[in-house]
Amino acid sequence: MTSIKERNIYENISKEDVKAQLESIFGKPNVTEKQVDLYPYSYDMTESNPHMPDFIVIPENESQLVELVKFCNKNIIPIVPYISGNNVGGLTIPEQGGIIVDFGKKMNKILHVDDEMMYALLEPGVTFGQLEKHLEENFPHLRYSYPFAPPYAGVVGNAILSGMNNLSCKLGSMGDSINGLEVITADGNITRIGSCFYGKKEADVKSWWSRYPMPDLMGLFINWQGMTGLVSKCAVQLWPKPNFKKTYLAVTFGLTDVASVLREAGRTEVVDDISAVSIEVVKMTVELPEPKKYANEPDFAALLVISATSNKHLEAKKEILEKTIESLNEEGKNIVLADVDEFSKLFSLRVRCYLDLPAALLSLVEYSGLTWFGSYAPSHKLEELIQKVDTIFHKHDIPSFIYMKSMKSSHYSIFRPIMRYKKFTEGEEERYHTCLEEITDTCIDLGCIPYKTPTWMTEKLRKKINPGWLGLFEKVKNCLDPNNIFNPGRWNT
Amino acid sequence: MVTIKDEIIGKEFLEMAFDRCIKCSTCKYGYKSYDKTCPSGEHFLFESYWASGKIRTIRGLLLGDLEWSEDILDPIFACTTCGACSDSCQAPHADYIVDMIEALRELAVKNIGPAKNQKLLISRCNENFNPYGDKNSTNEDLKREYNLPEKAEYVYFIGCTSNYRQQSLRDSSLRFLKRAGINFTLIDERCCTSPLIRTGQISLTNEYMNYNIAAIKNAGATKVITSCAGCYRTMKKDFKKFGADYGFEVLHTMELVKQLLDEDKIEFKSEFKYTVTYHDPCHLGRHMGIYELPREIYKKIPGLKLVEMKRNRNFAWCCGAGGGVKIGYPEWAVDISKERLEEASETGASIITSTCPFCKTNLSDARDKYDFDFLILDLMEILDTIEFDIKQN
Repeated sequence: MTSIKERNIYENISKEDVKAQLESIFGKPNVTEKQVDLYPYSYDMTESNPHMPDFIVIPENESQLVELVKFCNKNIIPIVPYISGNNVGGLTIPEQGGIIVDFGKKMNKILHVDDEMMYALLEPGVTFGQLEKHLEENFPHLRYSYPFAPPYAGVVGNAILSGMNNLSCKLGSMGDSINGLEVITADGNITRIGSCFYGKKEADVKSWWSRYPMPDLMGLFINWQGMTGLVSKCAVQLWPKPNFKKTYLAVTFGLTDVASVLREAGRTEVVDDISAVSIEVVKMTVELPEPKKYANEPDFAALLVISATSNKHLEAKKEILEKTIESLNEEGKNIVLADVDEFSKLFSLRVRCYLDLPAALLSLVEYSGLTWFGSYAPSHKLEELIQKVDTIFHKHDIPSFIYMKSMKSSHYSIFRPIMRYKKFTEGEEERYHTCLEEITDTCIDLGCIPYKTPTWMTEKLRKKINPGWLGLFEKVKNCLDPNNIFNPGRWNT
Repeated sequence: MVTIKDEIIGKEFLEMAFDRCIKCSTCKYGYKSYDKTCPSGEHFLFESYWASGKIRTIRGLLLGDLEWSEDILDPIFACTTCGACSDSCQAPHADYIVDMIEALRELAVKNIGPAKNQKLLISRCNENFNPYGDKNSTNEDLKREYNLPEKAEYVYFIGCTSNYRQQSLRDSSLRFLKRAGINFTLIDERCCTSPLIRTGQISLTNEYMNYNIAAIKNAGATKVITSCAGCYRTMKKDFKKFGADYGFEVLHTMELVKQLLDEDKIEFKSEFKYTVTYHDPCHLGRHMGIYELPREIYKKIPGLKLVEMKRNRNFAWCCGAGGGVKIGYPEWAVDISKERLEEASETGASIITSTCPFCKTNLSDARDKYDFDFLILDLMEILDTIEFDIKQN
């Protein structure tokens, strides 16, 4: 793993003076430097190296953030944004100390839902659960899409880090669903990007309806892991919620048959979401903690969700999907398509959580550690990826946990080997990390691009990326954050 | 892995903290309701005050990453241990989160002592066998007043809060038992140890448990009735955890009432024409899983209209008194209750009812401090106003 660069953040100002300034900005109850309060922010569920922050602050509004950024930029103090800290990549671990800005506690308001233009304007701390509840209660005819993650993951964090959700087969990356951003840059300026860019003062809440056609400055902040500014508002697209829905379970026999299900069902353009998991994960879901796969068992199970505005519409979509699977079987694949609504009745409510996202999924929350290689993958390499990664899992005697999605009508895929482990059992973290590194090397060699990356992974990436890209990346970072105060250390900055 | 001494009662729960919890935050809000349910987290905000943060504190202290200092007292003790986190969490350790917090408190007391006034719970018990510090009542006066025998099938275990702070609840319960023809007596009680266990101060626990068990057995009783949710939880759950072999049946008064109604032994004859909302005590609801039983009784009371607060049953907002918060953080405790009273105001009820004297105390304190216009009555106090027939089957 990469070592952490120690940085003396009190070169220019004493810790007492920093504390006094923070308390004057945020108010005393919203600032802490107590070790017991800092500690939970110092590590996450992954094997990323821990590091203590120096302060935690809880902001309420943009003007506090502007003051904070100006103060930190002047005194060269790192700022690390935090929502709920449950990313799988050490993204909120303050690699060089400094101040964690906890958005999850007060800057978590849904500022506006625009029914006509179908978007929601959010503060950074809004969670999926919160948004789902708000839509359900106030706009039941609209939907957002929800990830394979606990309900308290942040919506904005997920979008600006290009997460994926349960409409990904239609929409692709959630980064593409962002209409507008408000960002505080290192100089303390507030910048609005997207159709909200008109006006010198506050933007009208009804002006956050499009990302284009001006130069796309949003790219300066999306996927930068908080390294270029603090996002203080984000508008995300919503979609009509169809009244008719059907979920299929496709069970595939033969290690790689699932790849063609992902590709071919995805390109029918009738499916909202396809997510596939190794059979071991299905067993975890029915509460078998350390499952193995036995001979003649299926290899993968995929959930395929379709939705429609009428029954006739739904029937037409069902026919298309069923025929697609039939064709694959005629070509020699071995796929069984089942009605998941009926199938899931055999199991507990816990299993049905998979059909009712956002939800806390047992397969992810079972132990004290969780890590992954989460990546965007070239769809034509899925078979090779499955074969090689499955072999690596077995070599390390770790249950094969492969999660895949078809993205944007199969233009690309998500390939995500995941590992759950007991973080504090001696030797386990090292054992799992060794396996993960091997998987990482294999997948990067096959063209996968990891997202929400820990620093040890970006170090590997940097060795493979073309020098022009790296040079431009460094130039943009240096230009936007000359003092390297925004989440320093991410992407090995 | 760290080594935890065998003498720590909560050892297995401290060990569990290392194998479970990725800090996914599901514990923070009602699962799928997304309502605020954690008084501690909502008030203090920093991660250390939520259940997953407390689990990290356990790890930090046992791994030596954190030092025992005054700073850690609030994140450990400013929590009502209401268990809302347990009901929200979907991980395998969900049912043991309160045990983990209590184990952390046990460890904290051994290292730096409890929070603020919580030490008084022990010193007062040492002097008078009850955490309020009032002169110990042997209950002999009550036995005479109610003409109770020395030995009986049931012991009514009054509990310290009912006996020293909520005598109306105590007397209503005594009158109900007499009217229902229950063969019961009283004992010279010592604290059930609930407040001691909840605050990690367990030095007197085994002595008091054994004393009470012996006194109940000496009274010839095979069944114990209590109208206190805390005593009930402690006898039914904690006695076993601490290895106290009690061998008698424990009933909350409402269970007895329900039993009598189900067996057609009593029939309500007069009306109680009020709109009432029920506050679920944490020690009966989330800790013991009793939600519907009290509601079934209220619904059988003629004239009573039962309405629900928005947050009810397993995601009910705590009254704020439990877990040592009432004595340790008295002002905050009352503020937690204020939020509950505001929620009750939305129901149109004129009475808030519960089945716990401690909830009644704290809700009443908030009502008085913030000028709410509610009557706050225990189920037994409501039943005390109702005529009922005793039927011979």
